[in-house]
Amino acid sequence: MIMTPNQPLTMNPSESMTSRQTTRLARTSSVRVVALALAASVGTLLAPDAIEAQVRMTVAPQELPVVLRGATIHTVTNGVIENGMIVMDRGKITAIGTNVEIPRGAKVVDVSGKHIYPGLIDAYSTVGITEIGSVDVSNDINEIGDFNPNVRAEVAVNAESRHIGTTRSAGVLVAFSTPGGGVISGLSSAMSLEGWTWEEMSMKGAAAMNVNWPDPIARPRRFGPGGPGGRGGPQAPPKTYAEQVQELKDFFAEARAYRDAAAAGQTQSTDSRYAAMIPALNGDIPVVVAAEGAAQINDAITWGKEEKLRLVIRGGRDAIHVADRLKAENIPVILTSTMAAPNRDHEGYDGAYGSAALLHKAGVKIAISGGTGGLYSYRLPWEAGVAVAFGLPEEEALKAVTINAAQFMGIDDKVGSLEVGKEATLLITTGTPLDMTSNIEQSYIQGREIDMNDIQKHFFKKYMEKIKQQAKKIAS
Amino acid sequence: MRALRSFLGLGVLLASVPLSSGLQAQQSSRTEPVAGLRDNSSGFHALTGARVVTAPGQVLENATIVVRNGLITAVGANVSAPAGARVWDLKGQTVYPGFIDAHADLGMDAVPQGGDVGPTHWNPQVRAWFSTTSNLKDDSTRRVALRSLGFGTVLAVPKQGIFRGKASVLNLSDVGVRERVLRPDLLQSVGFQRSFALGGMYPNSAMGTVALMKQTFMDAEWYIRAQAAYEASGRSILPPETSEALAALAVNVQGRQPILFQTDSEEEYLRAHKLATEYKLTPWFRGSGQEYRLVDVLKGRTHPLIVPINFPDAPDVSSPEAALNASLGQLRHWYLAPTNPAALANAGVPFAITSDGLSTLTQFLPNLRLAVSRGLTADKALAALTTVPATWLGIERTHGTIAVGKVANLVVTDGNLFTEESSVRDVWVQGTRYGVTRPPQIDPRGTWRIASQEQGGINGTLVLEGPLNRIRGSIEPDNRRAIPLTAARVVAETGRLEITFPGEQLGLEGAVLIAGSVQGDEVFGWTSLPNGSDPSFRGTRTEAFEGAARGTIAMKVPQIDLPWVRPMMEYGRASLPEQPAVVLVRNATVWSQGPQGRMENADLLVRAGKVVQVGTGLNAPSGAVVIDGTGKHVTPGLIDPHTHAGVSAVNESGFAIVPEVQMGDVLTHNNIWMYRQLAGGLTTQMVKHGSANPIGGENVFVKNRWGSLPDDFKIEGAPRTVKFALGENPKRSPTRYPNTRMGVQEIIRDHFLAARDYEKAWKAWETNKTGIPPRKDLRMEAILDILNQKLLISSHGYRADEFLALVRLAEEFGFKVQTLQHGVEAYKIATELKNSGIAAVVWSDWGAFKLESYDATSYNARLLMEAGVVTSLHSDDAEISTRMNWEAGKLLRSGVEEVMALSTVTNQAAKAVAIDSKIGSLEAGKDADFVIWNGNPLSQFTKAEQTWVDGRRYFSLDEDAKLREEITRQRAQIIQAILAAGGPETPAAGAPARGRGQENK
Repeated sequence: MIMTPNQPLTMNPSESMTSRQTTRLARTSSVRVVALALAASVGTLLAPDAIEAQVRMTVAPQELPVVLRGATIHTVTNGVIENGMIVMDRGKITAIGTNVEIPRGAKVVDVSGKHIYPGLIDAYSTVGITEIGSVDVSNDINEIGDFNPNVRAEVAVNAESRHIGTTRSAGVLVAFSTPGGGVISGLSSAMSLEGWTWEEMSMKGAAAMNVNWPDPIARPRRFGPGGPGGRGGPQAPPKTYAEQVQELKDFFAEARAYRDAAAAGQTQSTDSRYAAMIPALNGDIPVVVAAEGAAQINDAITWGKEEKLRLVIRGGRDAIHVADRLKAENIPVILTSTMAAPNRDHEGYDGAYGSAALLHKAGVKIAISGGTGGLYSYRLPWEAGVAVAFGLPEEEALKAVTINAAQFMGIDDKVGSLEVGKEATLLITTGTPLDMTSNIEQSYIQGREIDMNDIQKHFFKKYMEKIKQQAKKIAS
Repeated sequence: MRALRSFLGLGVLLASVPLSSGLQAQQSSRTEPVAGLRDNSSGFHALTGARVVTAPGQVLENATIVVRNGLITAVGANVSAPAGARVWDLKGQTVYPGFIDAHADLGMDAVPQGGDVGPTHWNPQVRAWFSTTSNLKDDSTRRVALRSLGFGTVLAVPKQGIFRGKASVLNLSDVGVRERVLRPDLLQSVGFQRSFALGGMYPNSAMGTVALMKQTFMDAEWYIRAQAAYEASGRSILPPETSEALAALAVNVQGRQPILFQTDSEEEYLRAHKLATEYKLTPWFRGSGQEYRLVDVLKGRTHPLIVPINFPDAPDVSSPEAALNASLGQLRHWYLAPTNPAALANAGVPFAITSDGLSTLTQFLPNLRLAVSRGLTADKALAALTTVPATWLGIERTHGTIAVGKVANLVVTDGNLFTEESSVRDVWVQGTRYGVTRPPQIDPRGTWRIASQEQGGINGTLVLEGPLNRIRGSIEPDNRRAIPLTAARVVAETGRLEITFPGEQLGLEGAVLIAGSVQGDEVFGWTSLPNGSDPSFRGTRTEAFEGAARGTIAMKVPQIDLPWVRPMMEYGRASLPEQPAVVLVRNATVWSQGPQGRMENADLLVRAGKVVQVGTGLNAPSGAVVIDGTGKHVTPGLIDPHTHAGVSAVNESGFAIVPEVQMGDVLTHNNIWMYRQLAGGLTTQMVKHGSANPIGGENVFVKNRWGSLPDDFKIEGAPRTVKFALGENPKRSPTRYPNTRMGVQEIIRDHFLAARDYEKAWKAWETNKTGIPPRKDLRMEAILDILNQKLLISSHGYRADEFLALVRLAEEFGFKVQTLQHGVEAYKIATELKNSGIAAVVWSDWGAFKLESYDATSYNARLLMEAGVVTSLHSDDAEISTRMNWEAGKLLRSGVEEVMALSTVTNQAAKAVAIDSKIGSLEAGKDADFVIWNGNPLSQFTKAEQTWVDGRRYFSLDEDAKLREEITRQRAQIIQAILAAGGPETPAAGAPARGRGQENK
């Protein structure tokens, strides 16, 4: 039995709480058991005090094979296996089914009655590169300037960020840390949310190129502080939509020329920016274009086809108005705000909630991302869950945060479903991870039974102790 | 430019030189000696042959008006011009009484350099002492512009500040300032927008402005008593402070002089009316142009109401994207704004029309005609510019109609000013004629035969038609098809005609230019061809132009069925949902959130808006509305004790301490969030002041009675609560005390002490009744209420330390804080809160967006509950308030049981903010606010199907679907109307397209 601090708190809501109840409630909570469970799972002999103080321990790579037995396994790509078994070895899934061979020396864990899901994937996050919203120095998202194809999020991922633990606790085990700002913001990195350093966490450093499509409705924009002349320098005149798009095209043309010159051995010196563009130009990695309005999405598709890119639309607020074309051109959409209010007064209150269902019905391939930035990557399950309430079939919502996200972003060979050969990155739950009525009890990342503690649980345990001490003080 | 052209096109704007003088009338009362020679022109005129509209609805054809020494001495169809009078032949012209603008901005109250001097008022926005008469100075440009529209008389209204000073009735003649005042300082002008030019920090919000108004009315009343007490003491004591502003307001607070509120929205009208009622003022209102949304309220009210005719341009619908961004609210306003005067007239609400509020005065006549074409009768329009304002301004015995003995204020036009594209020719003010436009010297319209003897010259027929100021036409060369002209102009002074048309049909590549001189029915001219040759031609008019002399204004918008709704936007309601006598929801899972707990297969019985019972197998009396709840869940309406939605402003940051400001004063019903909240099951919210102040304003409880007016959202008998704020926000203004958490604590303490001193002073005076009576200070009164727990503290804050400091400070003063809000670190002092009896209102899981929220934990609510603290969730966010059930659902992951989780948005939320006697649970006697869900309300997979408030169904998925269809229909029809009317730069609804057929805009 895996312990979590989720012991239910039950009381009659109409009664006011008495100190007697307080004491009772305090006694029933599970601080101690959690700490013990952690000690067991970490499998080391740390002093008890150290365990109490830790927020989240990083565990060693998988050494022994592990078999999870008895659960309902939601493979995502190959249906649901009742009372199934899954074998994990050296970080990979080596067998899955109802009756598979248990490797010698394997640790067998009985998870009867539980559910197993692949770890959720947030296709658009800033986890690890932001810490506190309004504290500028804690944010490493927006590089200065309009064209930054060479910046790569992974190198700025703080492995000790508080948000990593919180995100994992919600079942999100892989996140694409993504730079923002400018026209070309840089490279998303696929990060596995376990490891001592960013290097250990990184699954793919240069995973996708990010482009912010200009806004045709906004007033002509100026370069920000990152414009020519830099911070405080002379301001360039404002640019129209057409000028901004042309500039983007020119940059791609120049990058392509650089690539060809380099291939022909004709470059004089290296250009970091253009060199970083080559995988995107060659279609080796997706180009994710942030576009919300219908004109933006349409223009981005026209451009992406001209440039022969592996185009992914991210945002997609008005994607439903472009649904036929998205389907016909087979362009996937990563929705960034399904749990959101509508943008216009005349839209239905469920305009955002229902957009995933409508797009799916129209035949558009969709993924759902974690919403407003890295601080809230842990909300990814709710973003997908709300789409279910408003008409998206539950299995499609699950795909939108697992295999679809993996496919669009080019890591479906590693994660996104429970299949032999893929990474053993999965969740053991009491039900669907997309609904708060179920709990995520234990997760594995690359076969490692990870520490389920996080900063929020740390504060819970610490301050339950305070409540207990003070209850005692009152009693004595 | 459109409007300017419409009268410039007919002639030439004349210099404003009086063409005859009628000064004699005034000379007898004039003190200034004459320098040089006297001007004694006769001042004796006869205006003959005109159509005279003597008063609204009264017309004399072919009549004569005799004017002598500034007064009308005779008027009638049978009157002949007396010998000796200068005769003005006005055959074919129309004469109206001179117009009166009851809210004119003559710009005479510019703020002096360095600000006002003298003992005026501590707040520079209070300029009640300002007198337009004392400060009368001539802005001749503005005066002449107004006069050229037909205005002879205006109420000149000062516009600087909140209390702006005294307005005077003036004539718009060119005489000196001493002869221009008809009624000095008639009333006080008040506005809801402060003037930045006047400086000062406070107020900088809508509710601060209302609070300042209230305090000032009270101070003015006090000032009378204080002065009286000083006099009564035989001047044995020192006098009270001197305030010219308060002295000036004495007549207003005693109801002896009107206060004219300038309102710029329907909400501001409601606020002004309420203030006037509360302080027993004599109110006048300058309207906003949105009165058509309030006709039900206005019906039967007779306070002077002066409305602008500032109709909006159409929203941009030139592309599908742009059209998508146009809200129904905007679209409806475009369509309906020009019907505003007609709506008032139809409702029998008296109103006058002002030129105020127009971005340019040249829009005045076109918009006036537009209002007429959209349903206002010409008579009502004329009354709104003459008799109605004359009566209100108290000049009806001398002004407003054309009658013997009245002042000779006249408007001479070349047609019906209200229904035709006519021009103002002359405006007479007190017997002096001021020319505005001259008739064109030529009228080239008609059919012309033109012929040329030269090589390449054109022989054919030229047709010129259309309004004289927008001539259009065609040229039909012999044996060819007619070619529409691309441009046609008349240079009136010289009688020259200039036209342009494309040469393609004549086998010429390029444009053909023609210039001709017209004299009678002859034209001589020359042609400039694209090939460079310039053959001359002669022409003769073969047919005169038939048709109206000028374009008649017809309604140019299609009839669209737009039901009246409130609010006048998306999802607005034609009426409130009915309240069935009895409602029974059957066989549902009922979360009573009371002692009955959660019951399966249970019924909820509601009578007259109150909960009667939750139970099983309940019987419905006949006629009851019965709802099958099988498979559904029923919960109390959700409660959010912290939002900022649906108010005109959030923060009054002019002072650090502002408990006198009240959010209840600035609610708006034009708030789409309320509908979305209903869709998410939210029925009650506490709308809060912002967090810029250690002591902010008074909050207000709002029930989501969507479709009501702001005051009807308020919950009768709800507790009063006040916003406090700790931590980063209130210490963020670098120039304002405080800048540290220590300072926050001290400024709160100092104000608590000040309130105690204030109380002491009052008690002393009430015992002795000697000296100057103390004044009621709304700020101190509010703080006293806080100390006496009549005004409950709900304090914003994040960190444990700052909360604990406030809790202890309150205890030092012998009272307790009601709730801590946000409370990201409340869990760190859970036991302390429990022991002090303080409720916590927290987020489910928001954090790390700022430094002081970094220690957030989603276990916060659970820890608080573990310690026994009454715990509620809140959103602090309009959007999140639309899904509070899911916020509560998040608590499940921290181990909170389901009923307890839901309690944080229902019964415990109600208890936290002390409104649990009315709402929060489904218990007998409580308000029937409930939600029917299609599943477990805490599940991410569940949505609300119906939301009821006070036993009325304000939201249901069925009705929502119907409303969406209606929105789609209305938007599509109005967008089509805009496109039909002229695309991107479409003017006000019904107005002629802008720039069509003109060479430049």
